[in-house]
Amino acid sequence: MSQEKRRIWKSGSVIWGTVWLFSYFGVRAAVESPDSFSRPALIAIVLTPVIPAALFLYFFITDIRQMDELQRRIQLEALAFAYPLTLLLVMTLGLLQLVMDLNPADWSYRHVWQFVIVFYLFGIWIAARRYQ
Amino acid sequence: MDRGQTLPVKNRLRVLRAERDWSQADLADKLDVSRQTVNAIETGRYDPSLPLAFRIARLFGQKIEEIFEE
Repeated sequence: MSQEKRRIWKSGSVIWGTVWLFSYFGVRAAVESPDSFSRPALIAIVLTPVIPAALFLYFFITDIRQMDELQRRIQLEALAFAYPLTLLLVMTLGLLQLVMDLNPADWSYRHVWQFVIVFYLFGIWIAARRYQ
Repeated sequence: MDRGQTLPVKNRLRVLRAERDWSQADLADKLDVSRQTVNAIETGRYDPSLPLAFRIARLFGQKIEEIFEE
């Protein structure tokens, strides 16, 4: 049963997505006390989230392939909502930087990525509501 | 405009399911789709693809046009 199989892939993407998120905060903690590590070690540490991210991507894509047609449509609508909003955010911040000083402590790349998750989840919520 | 909104498709899925005393979850399981999909089709919020419509027709032993109509 593909719906049964889907639960396995969905669990995998949730687990690896969580590991990816926690690895990011772990890396930030390590990078914010840089005296404890050599420069090559810091570079290696910074790249470690790539591993859970790759596993997340594998499970997430496989999960999408197991979804039924309505669930795929909801995903498509959520991504169609989140992707342009992300572009708009990055573009607007880029343009704003040309005309004013944005505080990098508030608006650097390490903060902006969090909006992508919010946009995607909001897109899922809107699309799922449409078909309830 | 959404195609589903301009050409709504009515269906007898809820009636056929009730005749067999199946829950939405039972039907979803038999069709290998989510319960949300069954609910969306029954309430007319989502029109199934042709392959899914064929699966539904086969499951109930009827022709597609006997279950779905414009």
